[in-house]
Amino acid sequence: MAVRMGFVIITSRCIDCDACMVACRAENEVPLGFTRNWVTNKGIAGLFPNVKQMFEPGNCMHCDSPPCVAVCPTGASHKREDGIVLVDDVKCIGCKYCIEACPYDARFPNPDTGKADKCTFCIQRLEQGLQPACVQTCIGKARHSGDLNNPASVVSQLLDIYPARQLLTQAGTGPNIYYIDVPVPEIPAGK
Amino acid sequence: MHGEFVWGILIVIYLFTAGLSAGAMVTSNGALLLGGERFDRIARWGALIAPFPIAIGTGMLLVDLGSPLNFYRLFMILQVKSPMSYGSWAILLFTVLSLVYFYLWLPEKLQIWRRPAQYVQWQRFLAKVMPVLAVIVAAYTGVLLNAAGRPLWQTPLLPELFLVSAFSTGVASVILAASLSHTWRARHHEIRVLTIADAVLVILELILFATMALSAQLGTLSQRLAFAQLLDGHYAWMFWFFIVILGLVVPLLMEISEIRGKIPVKWAGSLTIGSSFLVLFGGFFVRYAITYAGQWSGWVH
Repeated sequence: MAVRMGFVIITSRCIDCDACMVACRAENEVPLGFTRNWVTNKGIAGLFPNVKQMFEPGNCMHCDSPPCVAVCPTGASHKREDGIVLVDDVKCIGCKYCIEACPYDARFPNPDTGKADKCTFCIQRLEQGLQPACVQTCIGKARHSGDLNNPASVVSQLLDIYPARQLLTQAGTGPNIYYIDVPVPEIPAGK
Repeated sequence: MHGEFVWGILIVIYLFTAGLSAGAMVTSNGALLLGGERFDRIARWGALIAPFPIAIGTGMLLVDLGSPLNFYRLFMILQVKSPMSYGSWAILLFTVLSLVYFYLWLPEKLQIWRRPAQYVQWQRFLAKVMPVLAVIVAAYTGVLLNAAGRPLWQTPLLPELFLVSAFSTGVASVILAASLSHTWRARHHEIRVLTIADAVLVILELILFATMALSAQLGTLSQRLAFAQLLDGHYAWMFWFFIVILGLVVPLLMEISEIRGKIPVKWAGSLTIGSSFLVLFGGFFVRYAITYAGQWSGWVH
């Protein structure tokens, strides 16, 4: 089966330290005032004494049918064979149509380059066999990435065991970030 | 992630001017094909207006680009799934042909090159082709926002709304120019027919807004909350005061009283100018409110 790169994020393990955002900024030289990833405070849920506060990290969902790719007038926004959605800066004219079209607001206009900017899955790190900066740095092991179609990957292993949800499935984008909200005591071994 | 409006006033100006040009073009084409000699002054005014608003609008689009020097990339490819891609081609074709049409309508002493022998046939030929392009250019501005998939912009009636508003502002611009002009001031029957046409368009626009409001109420939570931005949210004052009252209802009442002719002659001129100005004013804020409110409202998670 074809490679389908994606993320599994365990919200029960996120403590909102924002290290993923710092690591991404350092790795990818993201300009101040913008960010390629985020941690959203989803508020407090439950009744005393069983209350919890949920933090929901996110970034580009590298969707199966990405609206940003469909609306791009020059073919700059594209989806690679392995599922990673990227912007080709040579072709991008900075029209910002993709930024409007993304229901997750995962993109921003980069003032330094004049191009649409977003999570690149840290392809420069993947090529060296490393994990994306946000995954590598995550202190609570809340962020995981890999090939969702490979049964041996950590992400597939996690999804085999725990129930997961996606964001805004009604938008028809087929997002490739899966969220696990239940406690995950141990991270399974995997690629 | 970004916290501000990504498409701002420059895009609003473009959406407005592209519609205005398309509307002025169709007004001229209709006057030539259906009205002939008796309507030649409004046919001329439509032709003289048409190329310029859209040229200003495309200028704004260029300035808005993050990499303006890269704009030629738009014309190296046709991406059938991207409205902006085929829209750019349509705008290019429309602007070039509207300049040709403009030239054919210039008075002979201003035509630098010799007037083509069959210029009347050329005019008539273009008058049959241009309405198709004009409809594409005007409706495309709605399709553009449609495809961006924001809850407010998703309504299938948006292209129709922008199309009707485009024709209405186009007609109004011709009325305005033709009643302010000294050389080719429109004759009474010309203004009367245009005023009737504009009143019909304004009524259509009111119906479209009402239908959009109703279908938003019946739609998803995201759509209902998005339309509430216009009805009683952040853009309510603009929607009700600038668009509905000043831009639609007041000019409609003025136009009806013009059509019925029960007003003193000395007021007729100011009434015509006033109502067409208000239609243009309202048309601008239709684009403004929808562009901004559409970005203000997002998806409900």
